[in-house]
Amino acid sequence: MIGARPERARTTGATAVGTERVPLLEMRGIRKRFGDLQALDGVDLVVNEGEIHALVGENGAGKTTLMNVLYGLYHPDSGTIRYRERDVRITGPRDAIALGIGMIHQHFMLVPPLTVAENVVLGDERGGPVLDDRAIEERVRGLEERFAIAVEPGARVEDIPLGLQQRVEILKVLYRGSELLIFDEPTAVLTPQEVDELFAIVRTLREEGKTLILITHKLREVMAVTDRITVLRGGRNAGELVTKQTTPAEIARAMVGREMKQLKARATPPRTEVILDVRGLEALSDRGSPALRGIDFEIRSGEILGIAGVGGNGQSELAQCLLGLRKVAAGTIRIGGIDISRDDPKRTRARGVAYVPEDRRIEGLVLAFTVADDFILGKQDRPPYAANGIVLDPAAILKAGGRLAVEYDVRPPNPRAIVANLSGGNQQKVVLGRELSERPKLIVVSQPTRGLDIAATEYVHERLLEQRGQGAAILLVSSELDEIRALSDRIAVMFEGRIVAVLDAASATEERLGLLMAGHTEAAA
Amino acid sequence: MASEPQATPTGPATAPSVRQPTAQWARGPAVPVASVVFALAIGAIFVLLSGHDPIAAYIDLFRGAFGSPYDITETLIQTIPLVLAGLAVAVAFRTGLFNIGAESQLLIGAVAAGAVGARFADLPGFVLFPMVLAAGIGAGAGWAAIAGYLKAARGVNEVITTIMQNYIVVFVMHWLLQNGPMTAPNALGTPASAPIGAGAVLPIIIPNELVPLTRLHAGIFLAIAAVVVFWFLLWRTPLGYELRAVGLGARAAAQAGIDPRTRIVIAMAIAGGFAGLAGMIQVTGVFHRVFDGFSSGYGFDAIAVALLGKNSPIGIALAALLFGAFARGGSIMQANAGVSAQLVSVIEAVVLFVIAAELIVRVLTARRRERKPLEAIA
Repeated sequence: MIGARPERARTTGATAVGTERVPLLEMRGIRKRFGDLQALDGVDLVVNEGEIHALVGENGAGKTTLMNVLYGLYHPDSGTIRYRERDVRITGPRDAIALGIGMIHQHFMLVPPLTVAENVVLGDERGGPVLDDRAIEERVRGLEERFAIAVEPGARVEDIPLGLQQRVEILKVLYRGSELLIFDEPTAVLTPQEVDELFAIVRTLREEGKTLILITHKLREVMAVTDRITVLRGGRNAGELVTKQTTPAEIARAMVGREMKQLKARATPPRTEVILDVRGLEALSDRGSPALRGIDFEIRSGEILGIAGVGGNGQSELAQCLLGLRKVAAGTIRIGGIDISRDDPKRTRARGVAYVPEDRRIEGLVLAFTVADDFILGKQDRPPYAANGIVLDPAAILKAGGRLAVEYDVRPPNPRAIVANLSGGNQQKVVLGRELSERPKLIVVSQPTRGLDIAATEYVHERLLEQRGQGAAILLVSSELDEIRALSDRIAVMFEGRIVAVLDAASATEERLGLLMAGHTEAAA
Repeated sequence: MASEPQATPTGPATAPSVRQPTAQWARGPAVPVASVVFALAIGAIFVLLSGHDPIAAYIDLFRGAFGSPYDITETLIQTIPLVLAGLAVAVAFRTGLFNIGAESQLLIGAVAAGAVGARFADLPGFVLFPMVLAAGIGAGAGWAAIAGYLKAARGVNEVITTIMQNYIVVFVMHWLLQNGPMTAPNALGTPASAPIGAGAVLPIIIPNELVPLTRLHAGIFLAIAAVVVFWFLLWRTPLGYELRAVGLGARAAAQAGIDPRTRIVIAMAIAGGFAGLAGMIQVTGVFHRVFDGFSSGYGFDAIAVALLGKNSPIGIALAALLFGAFARGGSIMQANAGVSAQLVSVIEAVVLFVIAAELIVRVLTARRRERKPLEAIA
């Protein structure tokens, strides 16, 4: 089955790598079909004992399906699983756990009111009918010491941050004696610092002889922490790589199946006309504390200003003020010289402001609407969608929806499709189509590629640069420093409601930005 | 299969959705129909337990509702206020609001219509009728808009306010009609208002020779018109689009320049207008005056009607007809088969139960999908 596809890029055979090691897990020819969709089409995965193995691929490549097969949540249509050189049949998570396979889910499965220790032992309490809290905590503490995982065993799970909750999940799996740990997108919910701490734990686990599978699509993480890489694409193997011998570009190529396009460098310099001019802007947060404490900046036509900063330093509030979604306490916001700081979103948008919000599922889109209906959100009372503003024209809405769906590469390009059923990337394309199709003067963009895969991210970036080329002013808020540095002409760093520095993209190294984001203005100067 | 060449790299975007079938199934009429069948089966058990023949009881129920032209017209008379009150619940629901106050909006519409109709009884019909119509719709709209305003401006839960408004109107009606300012001078102890002027009375639309003694009045045309207005408003006007957008995604609507607060007030006012029209029609078409306690809880049955009808125009019309038939047929069944008309309440309750259960299932499955990201399927 596998040999029939010689075109597959197979850098190294499983046996050629780490020959001194025995394969702990061998999955061969795994197939799984859901309705019309062949989710896995003969996938192989070989994981050696004591390694950190990355399982990478775009959204929909089959990574999670493959792991759910291994964990017994799905039953494969065909294929074999060998574990410790024995053929095994895994019919449910119970079998997997008995074999020593543990899964750390992306969405934690914890009981919030219980303590850390109680959560760890839940379902496997051991001992008599009476729960001995102290003994349990001792046992959990022992586990924590061995693997250098710090969480207070007596703390309630609902009181601890996500990063620590994830450690509880890891402890749970270790407590059950797992030898092979599967991490499903473990960094999706973590802050950059928590990611570093997680990686330290992951390395300790490897030193302690555990084997780890890391499901991810973030290449930076793959390069930082893994030993070997299996790439999936469209439900098939698209490459096996050794981390030390490969590059992010090579992995990306295997994931996407083609060369990544180089972002067209900012060919034209920004023009001179100032589009957005913000002076002394102040605003309160939802809780009533000062969120913006006097912000000054301007963006010119054909310029992208990146806003860097650790989340929660006023970036969201700034975007909301620009749109008229948040009350401006003091200061002015001028678009082409006209103060819009008191305008509501409708009037702000009428001035040529477009918005790609942070959370496309809640703020960007009405998920239950069709693609065509979401394209006209905010334009429903204007021709051609509403003749003379009173009666909707369904034919015109559908026609425009079909045209935009094609123009913005929404797949499937069906204006009647329900937006909730689209992938994240296609949902974002609907947002872009709505916001960019009317030649906006100012585009406020917040986390435009969060959760998107490589191809969709590339698409979003191209579209933003295209708008820049057409003379739009763009404010880009992103927690991805790479994204900010790749797209921005200038980068403003926000810290505690202020802009602490504005750097030229050329001089903004990651180190400098990192220091500024952490509030070290002097050190970075 | 394995040797099938992988065509041009299309990326993940082409991964088709496997979630659609379930969603589409839930959108169809399967669940409402199944819930009614199930409810009838449960009802049959209760009939058996009370020592009667369920088949005979249901035959009586059906005959009572549709057995003769007269019965059909009586069923339709019951259906009219249910349709309108059902629309009142549905407009709010489409905007993301739970309007429990259709009953009080209906009652206040009836009171206003009755008061205007009696006070200006001498005016000619072409003046009086529009006045009474406006009074009924306006009173319901204004009353419901209060709950909408409190929600929009102060964040007060509309479920609470509309329930409390029900109590207010019920007791104000007691006061008005039991020896109060609206009580008819010659009422002789009947808690009722003076009759409305002849010009405000809705005419009987079927000649007596065709269906003897029928009371079916022109209000049925108003109800049909209201269903059409409901559909047109929600799916063919920018306002309706905005209401639906607010109902399905308030924050998305807000950032696009559709202020949910104003739309909430408007939606409640429209809802109250439909319910007020229902009350006005009961006064001008059926009673020709206001009785204390004339409504048998149309505004509450309306919640079931809207849910069973999935807040769609045709669905609401059909569900209202079903509940109208239950109301009419139930009393006949009680008279003939000796089965308590309360059976009808049991059946209605089971229908609601099943619909609510389906909603719960849908919410739960939606959550499970949330937990397993798209990748888990694709």
